[in-house]
Parts: sequence; structure tokens; C-alpha cells
Amino acid sequence: MTARVIAIAHKEAREFLRDPIYLGLAFIAPVVLMVLFGYGLTMDVKHLPIVFLDHDRTTYSRDYMDSFLHSEYFSPLGIAPDRKAADKLLRSGRARLVIDIPPDFSRLISKQKPVQLGVTVDGSFPSRAQVMVGYVNGINRLYNSRLLSNYLAKSVRSGSTPAMPVSVNFSVWYNPSLESKNFIVPGMQVIVLMLFPAILGALLIVRERETGTIFNLIASPAKRWEILAGKAIPYITVAFLDYLITFAMSIFLFKVRFIGSFLFLSCAALLYSTCTIGIGLVFSVIARTQLVAMLITFLATITPAFNYSGFLAPVASQDQVGQFVAHLIPATYFMDMVRGTYLKGLGFAFYWQDLVALALYAIVIYTIALTLFRKRID
Amino acid sequence: MWGRLGAMLRKEFNQLLHDYWILFILVYAFTGAIYVAGHSISMEIKNYPIAVLDLSQSRESRDLVALLQPPYFKLVAYARSDAALVKLLDGGKASLGLVIPPDFSRQVRENRGKCQVISDGTLSMSATIAMAHVAQITAKYGIKMLEQQGQLTRTMITQIPRVDTRIRVAYNPNITSSWFTSLLELMNIITMISMLLSASAMVREKVYGTIEQLHVSPLRPAELFAAKIIPTTVVILMLSILSLFWVVKGIFNVPLYGNLVLFFSVTAIYILSIASLGMAIAVIAKNIAQVAMMLLLIMYPMLFLSGAFTPPESMATWMRWASLLSPMRYYMDFGFQVLYKGNGLMDVWYDVVGILVIGSFLFAFSVWRFGRSIR
Repeated sequence: MTARVIAIAHKEAREFLRDPIYLGLAFIAPVVLMVLFGYGLTMDVKHLPIVFLDHDRTTYSRDYMDSFLHSEYFSPLGIAPDRKAADKLLRSGRARLVIDIPPDFSRLISKQKPVQLGVTVDGSFPSRAQVMVGYVNGINRLYNSRLLSNYLAKSVRSGSTPAMPVSVNFSVWYNPSLESKNFIVPGMQVIVLMLFPAILGALLIVRERETGTIFNLIASPAKRWEILAGKAIPYITVAFLDYLITFAMSIFLFKVRFIGSFLFLSCAALLYSTCTIGIGLVFSVIARTQLVAMLITFLATITPAFNYSGFLAPVASQDQVGQFVAHLIPATYFMDMVRGTYLKGLGFAFYWQDLVALALYAIVIYTIALTLFRKRID
Repeated sequence: MWGRLGAMLRKEFNQLLHDYWILFILVYAFTGAIYVAGHSISMEIKNYPIAVLDLSQSRESRDLVALLQPPYFKLVAYARSDAALVKLLDGGKASLGLVIPPDFSRQVRENRGKCQVISDGTLSMSATIAMAHVAQITAKYGIKMLEQQGQLTRTMITQIPRVDTRIRVAYNPNITSSWFTSLLELMNIITMISMLLSASAMVREKVYGTIEQLHVSPLRPAELFAAKIIPTTVVILMLSILSLFWVVKGIFNVPLYGNLVLFFSVTAIYILSIASLGMAIAVIAKNIAQVAMMLLLIMYPMLFLSGAFTPPESMATWMRWASLLSPMRYYMDFGFQVLYKGNGLMDVWYDVVGILVIGSFLFAFSVWRFGRSIR
């Protein structure tokens, strides 16, 4: 019985090894993806082109504008002559935000009165718009607190305590330097180990069906589960090797902070790869042609993995549809474990429930594949 | 020529349209998948989970906690001890911990209130935004306290010199992320499916051995090439129209200001270019498995360099240059400018030229490689 599993696994492995292009791509493509996203993906929105409309033209307004230029968040495009010119820059995408300083800016400030300032932000990329709104508010708040402390120093009765009643002391844990590579690179590992194994698994059965070699397996004494196991095992190995390669890259190439247990992470990765190969296997059993299998797999893995696994934004911030999808894919569970291991140093003791969840996931997915897989000619 | 091409086109259309599985999946890709993707958020902070360790249990501390409200924050738990707070943060149940010291109430009255915020920096971007929100909220709280203590009177507050920003977000007033994600997903799907369908239409002939029949037929390489990419283009264009009106506009209520004729004409050119790229893959690949891997290898860099993740102005220099090679970069910029901002050809000619140049190159390259491989 196990001899048959080994025989099928052996055959599958040889087939894989004899297609050097496929073999090479299965290892090269994940590496390319890691390099690209690891080096290139910066979530820091910087150098946003900003345009000013200065109707005041005093030292006050220049001072205000300067407060925007001292940061690397904005890079000035200059002062627009009129509203129309500014709008045109915004519309063409050459400017991302316009700050409109009203004519009575300096007059109101020197009279200790609130000033209304118009800011227009390009909203075509919502996340970028959100960040820009945050930056503008932040810089404006700094400017205001400067005004306020001047004012309080002058006019509050207990003149000796001009301070604000509450101050906040921020401390950042787990990723103290707030470097985005510390969450992007491990996150990419999760994504890569979802996309590639799923597609590897998706072609396993349907390829034989399409070329007709499935008859050899149907006619053989091997049981259904032996066929599935024999086919999955070599590819789980490939996926695990992909994990080792990407892990080595994140430690040695990207120098990501890693304080957890390698053994724990490897166990989790092995279970996770088993799940992702299994997802592909289910599609492979359902589909009649490789094209269909590939289409289903791409649709079912790419968007959920990138958007819902918690790769870039916390799962808690998703709406109900999003949370539902998030809990359907193994990537969400593995993402937690990967980040917890890398950055928080947590291990078996903390995540044993998630490990059990992944194991259950694997059992369910392989049961589905087994139920749908028929040794029959249709 | 038209007779041969016509016959071949009919065969290709038949093959594509008579496979109900494929049709079903294609329709899902252009409707359901976009619906699902439209629900994802990109980066903004919503219901950011926060836990509070309130050692003061005073009116002042409760007032402060009460300000940490949705939509930005969601109070998930009151921790009873340091250890409990650490556990919440470790487990990711809370991403922000607020610690209020025992004598907070007295401190605030003496204008030296200090509280501590512990932020889970794992998702550094979200953490930065969340901390900015906290700073803003505590500043607001501070003013309120000064007012309550009578150090500031109402009239003084209205007289505090300050600059109020009235922020107007153009093109997407409420920063609705589905407006962006649904359209982005449509563009992703167009790219992925165009490449996949044309590549597999060609490789399938290799796998089944029917390529031999095509070799000995009187079809010229150019005709065969056209017969393989035209059905893909037509079907995907139709589905894009369906998707844009039914899902993007119909379900997510994205206002489409632009010139739709311009949008769909350029979309047709874009699909043709990407389908040509698919054919180039098909020339090299020997089986569908190789197609799948090459597709992933080409598609992700293209998507990645398109500016959907990192805006071009924030990219590193090497990346900004590399992004010029990604046809998706032009197409995305084009699509958002035309549909959201209502820009015309005068504003987006740069993108159209980009798509045309890259498209012609891909087209010429794959026709050339294709012609060689047929002989």
C-alpha cells in the first residue's frame, strides 16, 4: 500500500525533474517575486507633488508653506498663479494636492482668529488620499500647537503652566524602527507559498486527464487516496523547498528581524504548504481542462491572498465580506503565525491552536479532493 | 484570405464559447471576483483594535477612552493587568494598547497628564496612521480639559489662533476604497485573462498535437495569429463592458465621468497587446504548466510596477524606470484619469502612446517569433 504511494510519488517526481523549464520556474519565480516586492514595495508614501495657491503673500503664509516642505513627504511643484492652473495640475496627476491660502490668512492669525484653509487632495487612490489627509492634518497640527503655545504663554492665567494637560508617550513594539520590510518580506513568503503551490497542485490530476494518461492510473491497482497522496507528496516537498529558499532570502538578503523559533515556523510552513497544494488539488479534480483549473486557481488565490490575508492591512479593518473571505483561506492563519514568529518571538505554546486549525484545514481539503476524485472514465 | 481567416475564427470562437465551464468562470471573473475585491480595503485605518489598561478608573480617564471611537478605533478589551495587555498585543487581538496611570486624574488637573500608548509596529504603515489619530484625539481632549477646568473659556477657544484645514478630496469625496479596488481588479482581470486565454489557445494545439494540422493547412502564420487573439479580445472587451456598467457602476456606484468610447477603444488596444504577450509565451512554452509559471513570472512584476501598490512618485529610481516597461502602468493611469477625472485624450495622450508603443512591440515580436516557430 505505501509502496504504491511511493511508486506514484517517484513517477511524479521524475516527470517534474524532466521538465527543466517547469522545474526552474517553480523555484525562480518565487525568488523573483520576493526580490521585487522585498526591495520595491514601500508603503511609505513620499515625495508627493504639492502645489500652493498663495493669496496672502506674507511672511505668515510663507512660514506656513515652509512647514510642508521640511518633510520628505512632499515635494513642491511651486506656487500656482490661479485656481484654474492649480486644478489643471491636479487633474493631470502632476500634482497630488493643492493648498489654498486665503487672502486674509496673516490678518486673522495676527488678530488671534481661526483661519479657514482650503486643501484639495487627489482621491483617485484612496489609500494614498488617506495618507495625504493624515500628513496634512499632522503638519497643520504642529503649526497650530506652535500658535497655541505662543498664545497660552501670553494669555492663560496660570501663566507658568502653558503645557497641554495630557501628553502621550508612544512606544512601538515588535518592529521598533517601523520598517516596512519587516512586515512585507515575511508577508510575501506567505503569499508566495499560497500562489505557487496552489497552481502546482491545480495541474496535477487534470493534466493527466487532458492528455489521457489518467487511464494508466485508473487501470492501476492504486486506490484513490494513494494516487492523490503520491501526486501531492513531491509537490509538497517542492513547496517546502520554496519556503526554505524564501526564508533564507529574508534572513540573509533582506536581513529581516527574526527572533522566533525556526523549528516552529518550519512545522507551520509544512502544514501550510500541504493546505495550499491541497487547494490546488481540489480544483484539479473538479476541472476538465488545465485552462479551467488554472483560471479557478488564479481567481481563488491571487486576490484573496493579497487583499484579505492581512498582508498590508489588519484583518480587523475589513468589512464582513472581507472577514468572511479572510477566514476561508489558510493564508490568514499562517500570516499571523509568520509575523508572530518573526517579530514577536512566539512559538508552539502560543500558536498551538492555529497549528491545529491548519491541520484540520488540511484534513478537510484533502477529504474534499478525495470525495470528488473518481476512478471512472467519463 | 478572409475565407481562411473566417473559418479559423469560427473554430476559435466555437471552442471558446462552447465550453460552458470557461464561460461561467469568465463571467464570474468579471463580476463576482470584482465584487469580492471591491470589498477589500487597501490601507486606511478602520476599526483599529485597541485595548485599554485603565489604572486610574476616574472620570478623566473614562472621558479620554470614550474619544477612541469608530470608525477609526474599536475598543476590543479592557486589560486588567500588564500581562493581560501584553497577551492581547502578542496575540494580535489588539494592535494598540493605551495605559493610563493610577494618578491620571490628578495629573490632568495639574496639566501634566501622561499616558502611554503601545503600538504593534508589525504593520508599520497602519501603526503610523493609528498613532497620528491618537495624537490628534489626545490634543482634542487636552483642549476640552482646559475648558472644563476654566483655564480656557469658550470665547477664548474660539479665539485661539489656529488654522482649520477644510480638506476636500477630489474625485472620491468620501475616500471610498471600493471605487478604487473594483476598477483596479477589473484591470487586473483584463490583464490576466487576456494573457491566459490567448496563451492557452495556442499551447492547447501543441499539447493535443493539432498544431501539425495547422502547419500543413494553407493558413498563413499571420492569419493563425490573428485567429488566436481576435476571439480573446472580443470576448474580454464584451465582458469588460458588462463589468464596468453592472459591477463597477451598478453595484459600487462609481461615477463614470469620462468618455467611455475612448476608454473602451484604448482597452481594446490594450487587450490586443496583452494577448500578443500571451502568444509570445505560448511560442516558448511546451505545455500548460510552463505557461502557468511564466504567466506568474510576467504578470506580477507588471502588476507590481503598475503603481497600484506604490505610486510612481514614491518609487525608487530604478523602479520608476522599470515601471516604464509595464504596459499596465499606462493602462492604469489612463483608466483612472479617464473614468474618474473625466480627462480627455489631450490629458492622457502620454499613456495612450505608451500602450501603443509597447503594444506594437509585443505584437511585432510575437508575430515574428510565431512565424519562425511555425516554419
